[in-house]
Amino acid sequence: MPKILYIEHNGKEHVVDADVGKSVMQNALENLVPGIIGDCGGACSCATCHGYIDPAWEGKAGSRNENEEMMLDGALRVEPNSRLTCQVIMTQELDGLVVRLPESQF
Amino acid sequence: MNSAAAQSISWDPYNTDLIPNPYPMYKRLREEMPLYYNEEHDFYAISRYADIEATLRDRDLFSSAHGDILEFIKAKSVMPDSVFIHQDPPKHTAYRSLMQRIITPKRMFAVEQDIRALCARSLDHLVGGDRFDFITNLGAEMPMRAVSMLLGIPEKDQTAIRESVDARMRTEAGKPIDLANQQAIQQEALAGFEEYISWREKNPSDDMMTELLQTDFKDPEGVVRKLTRDEISNIVNVVAGAGNETTNRLIGWMGKTLSEHPDQRRDIVKNPALIPAAIEELLRYEPPGPFLAREVMRDIELHGKKIPKGAAMIMLVAAGNRDESRFVDGDKFNIHREQRPHMTFGQGIHVCIGAPLARLEGRVAMEEVLKRFPEWEVDYDKAVMSSTSSVRGWDSLPVWIGSKPKNYVAPKPAAPAPAPAAPAADVTLEGTWNVVVKGPTGPQPAVLTLERNGDSFTGAQAGAGTSTPIADFKKTGNKIYWVNHITKPMKIKVEFTGELSGNVITGKAKAGFMGSYPFTATKA
Ligand code: HEM
Ligand code: FES
Repeated sequence: MPKILYIEHNGKEHVVDADVGKSVMQNALENLVPGIIGDCGGACSCATCHGYIDPAWEGKAGSRNENEEMMLDGALRVEPNSRLTCQVIMTQELDGLVVRLPESQF
Repeated sequence: MNSAAAQSISWDPYNTDLIPNPYPMYKRLREEMPLYYNEEHDFYAISRYADIEATLRDRDLFSSAHGDILEFIKAKSVMPDSVFIHQDPPKHTAYRSLMQRIITPKRMFAVEQDIRALCARSLDHLVGGDRFDFITNLGAEMPMRAVSMLLGIPEKDQTAIRESVDARMRTEAGKPIDLANQQAIQQEALAGFEEYISWREKNPSDDMMTELLQTDFKDPEGVVRKLTRDEISNIVNVVAGAGNETTNRLIGWMGKTLSEHPDQRRDIVKNPALIPAAIEELLRYEPPGPFLAREVMRDIELHGKKIPKGAAMIMLVAAGNRDESRFVDGDKFNIHREQRPHMTFGQGIHVCIGAPLARLEGRVAMEEVLKRFPEWEVDYDKAVMSSTSSVRGWDSLPVWIGSKPKNYVAPKPAAPAPAPAAPAADVTLEGTWNVVVKGPTGPQPAVLTLERNGDSFTGAQAGAGTSTPIADFKKTGNKIYWVNHITKPMKIKVEFTGELSGNVITGKAKAGFMGSYPFTATKA
């Protein structure tokens, strides 16, 4: 199983055995990683699954889609490497992915 | 499970016995009847977290085209496209994506300081006193004001509204409110929403209303155009309707739940950084909207039972939020529990768009209350709970702050209306009544004209520039009931249920998914 490393804003790390095909948001929720909420369940409608993709992974993790771009436009604490993690689907190639979490999702 | 016990499982949204504490029944439903069917009202209900989650995410199988409230689905209610809470894709998508650009977290966060100032204004004069009311003094006005701030109604134009608010806040808990005076102020506050829209058109700013007026919108037919006035009005009504009563209830539950958990309240006072987690736990534990409904679009089978196409399905959010398979000791309020998302804001494409604002209001209210009143105790003799088809919570939640006086004698309950001049003589119902509904966007005036034909009454109600006939007018003792199918600002059935006292009828006007609002009707 590929792994994802989530780093909370306070530096606390969570390594998770991720399910391929599920989103980075879903993998966080199923492993009780605090700091990702995912209110809309992945419908790209709530922006409570915001995370920062480690620059080393930006290419592989793909880029924002149009809807996601629009949601991030109105969100808080957005950086160039911000993504809505429900829109990043886990693959074998993303093994080792590092995602930092914002101070708060709202 | 034995069948005798199973037979006694019964739940419906109208059962008043279950309103004070529905949770033991929810637990039984989860454990014994995860798919429940209610014959009397012909609906299905699910109560397990996983089932509710799956249902809310499956927008093709579970439709919102006839709304998200049982009565609406049964009535096959149809609303204008712009009432997007009441639509499926692609109509929903068109308005939702527009609104997502407009009600952004950024914009919601921008009103934090104003909300805090409002809290301070509401609470400061209570410091040093014995009591305050979480609803009257805080919950009743804050959510509406927050939405007004979002809309960009300028402070100076809010003066009339604020005067009315302050007048009420100055009224001590348990003392009657000067209704006549309040009505006069409210009429004034009716400077008119329409007028505000026109004014804003000429004075654009960076608020939500300006954006609603200026934005290019791709409608469900794919045409790019501006929103019409009717659409703007509907959208504002949806936002206000979805955001007012729910957030009001959250504030009431805050008062009640923290009063019953003084140890955790002390933890929060000591460490205010716990407040966001406390708000999430509160939302999980006592969801202001305890259930949602959908229409089932295909024949399906769930937990071994068939559900026919067209059935109404209720999702018991309040039951799912305490599902033991997801939340350890689900029936326990514990702000320190492992943080897992709850279902209180829904899930999927209709997920609450105002959740950041609701959370912000909750957080700021808790901070400002605890700063001034680290301890309180609910006065249950005076507290009033209510439950409608969409929300459950407190209409009034007075609390003791500081010390509860020994030998305290509760004041007489607030009179519902000024005493009639000639109480013995029954007012004649036929004639003209001035009706004021305290609606989500401010007081809505209307004129009700009643005619008597023998024992029955017919008539018409005029408001918002249109007049529509009323139906089902009934008088039982001093209880009055009638229905008005209004067409403006949207097609909706409004049910008036009130009590006649002298020449005034006071009660609630229930406007479908918009919720219930107080009204008064005064014989002209
Ligand atoms: C504690 C307070 C609140 C609760 C519990 C709550 C709950 C909900 C729920 C459960 C839904 C989904 C309905 C469904 O799936 O059928 C919803 C939708 C909605 N809420 Fe809230 N809400 C709250 C506050 C607010 C606020 C403050 C606003 C506005 C600023 C708001 C605006 C909306 C809107 C516009 C929708 C419709 C979204 C859609 O259909 O796409 N809500 N809310
Ligand atoms: S989970 Fe809602 S936007 Fe990602």
